[in-house]
Amino acid sequence: MSLLRELWRSLRSGLETLGEMMLFLGRMLAYTPASLRRFGLIVHQVYNTGALSLVIIMLCGLFVGMVLGLQGFDVLQRFGSEESLGTMTALSLLKELGPVVTALLFSGRAGTALASEIGLMQATDQLAAMRMMAVDPIRRVCVPRFVGGIIAMPLLAAIFSGIGIYGAQLVGVQMMGVDSGQFWSQMRASVETRDVMEGVIKSCVFGVACSLIAVYEGYNAIPTAEGVGRATTRTVVISAVVTLVLDYMLTAALR
Amino acid sequence: MVEESQAAAADIAADAENIVTIRGLDYGVAQREIFRDLNIIIRRGRVTAIMGPSGTGKTTLLRLITGQIVPDRGSVIVDGKDLSQLSRTGLYALRQSMGMLFQNGALLTDLDVFENIAFPLREHTDLPEPLIRRLVLTKLHAVGLRGAAALVPAELSGGMGRRVALARAMVMDPKMLIYDEPFAGLDPISLGVVLRLIRQMNDALGITSIVVSHDVHEIAAVADDCYLLSGGQVVASGNPKQLQSSESEVVRQFMNGLADGPVPFHYPAPDYATQILAREAD
Repeated sequence: MSLLRELWRSLRSGLETLGEMMLFLGRMLAYTPASLRRFGLIVHQVYNTGALSLVIIMLCGLFVGMVLGLQGFDVLQRFGSEESLGTMTALSLLKELGPVVTALLFSGRAGTALASEIGLMQATDQLAAMRMMAVDPIRRVCVPRFVGGIIAMPLLAAIFSGIGIYGAQLVGVQMMGVDSGQFWSQMRASVETRDVMEGVIKSCVFGVACSLIAVYEGYNAIPTAEGVGRATTRTVVISAVVTLVLDYMLTAALR
Repeated sequence: MVEESQAAAADIAADAENIVTIRGLDYGVAQREIFRDLNIIIRRGRVTAIMGPSGTGKTTLLRLITGQIVPDRGSVIVDGKDLSQLSRTGLYALRQSMGMLFQNGALLTDLDVFENIAFPLREHTDLPEPLIRRLVLTKLHAVGLRGAAALVPAELSGGMGRRVALARAMVMDPKMLIYDEPFAGLDPISLGVVLRLIRQMNDALGITSIVVSHDVHEIAAVADDCYLLSGGQVVASGNPKQLQSSESEVVRQFMNGLADGPVPFHYPAPDYATQILAREAD
């Protein structure tokens, strides 16, 4: 009985958080048009979340692609269709691994940075000082970071997929001896715009979700060292779960 | 309720002389009562000190005056406007005429000193860059930190940070400057500098200053009017001399820094002997 009650309580608090997050999103969206006019602030945040995540994204993309090349070669060889390696890696990277792994890395690298930065600004009265200067911190601090994240995510995912395909080519063609012409021409023949768009849509949605979670958690962090730490942890955990759940839903919807 | 609004209207009429009027204010957080029937008047053009032992809600009072929190009962009238009647936009407009100095400076850590001071200008005005530059440099010069314009907040000492925050609070030419514990943690030299700046800004710019502090001697040197808060109410008010020579026990305990008195040394606790012996029995 108490277990049920406990379950009900956590479900309810989860729904409450979701509702608050949606209200927060509404407030940010209301400020977004005004924020877009000061594009410099957003560019700065695209640099902060995007450009500074480039190295980790590229490194991970390369290795994920190389693993795909190896594993894919292994499987395809059993059916004697190694030439399809290009198609297989390209589709799995563009449609699935690119957006998902980028979102996971993004929340680990940029999301935590956003949450702890905003949380610390809260803890050190910087946000209160802004309110006292008649500046709404949601407009000045949250919205540029949120929009910056949304812009950065698809760009990072594209770079991830690109480097990943190069990595697969490196292993498949250079090491395992798949024919280079076959590798590329099969990829070109079977990857359609629809497949690319699926990845783009996914990474845009993940961009909204991960940036929203990071900014929300930071803004609502309890203004202590412990509170900021907890907000950072929650950012990563919630982002990862939400990304994977959304991924299934989007995959099903975009079939 | 009718009486209350009539009183508020009368207070607005008396506004020519008073910039802040707090009347019959109650405020509490989660069953803990912080203020009960608080009445405070702050006159224009003067330095008013709000003093009191730690935990009497001095900072809470500042948050009430600036409309960051709303009282449970009573009215706060600032510059002729009843804060409870103001919309969010109205409140933000009013705040543009207030400058506030936070306990720790609260400088924006991702901007350098120059940009910190330029921040309100960039947010609220469309001034051309050369004019912003000139305004910022004048304010920095006034606090003696023109040479520190390119430093970032992490490179500043506590006293310098406080002075930069003061320059930022002044940059929009406010009618009222609010200082939250401006002397906390400063060395004697920085303290002297801040003390002199408070007086100088007040008189040179013709603004009103509210200083929250528990540093009795520093306050006595700078304030025109003082309020002493304790137990959620004003226990004494007047100029620093009157407070020094007060006969009231609470005032004397506070002004002379006595450990025990009406404000007890011990936090409320069960009987000492009973508690100690109960431990041993376990």
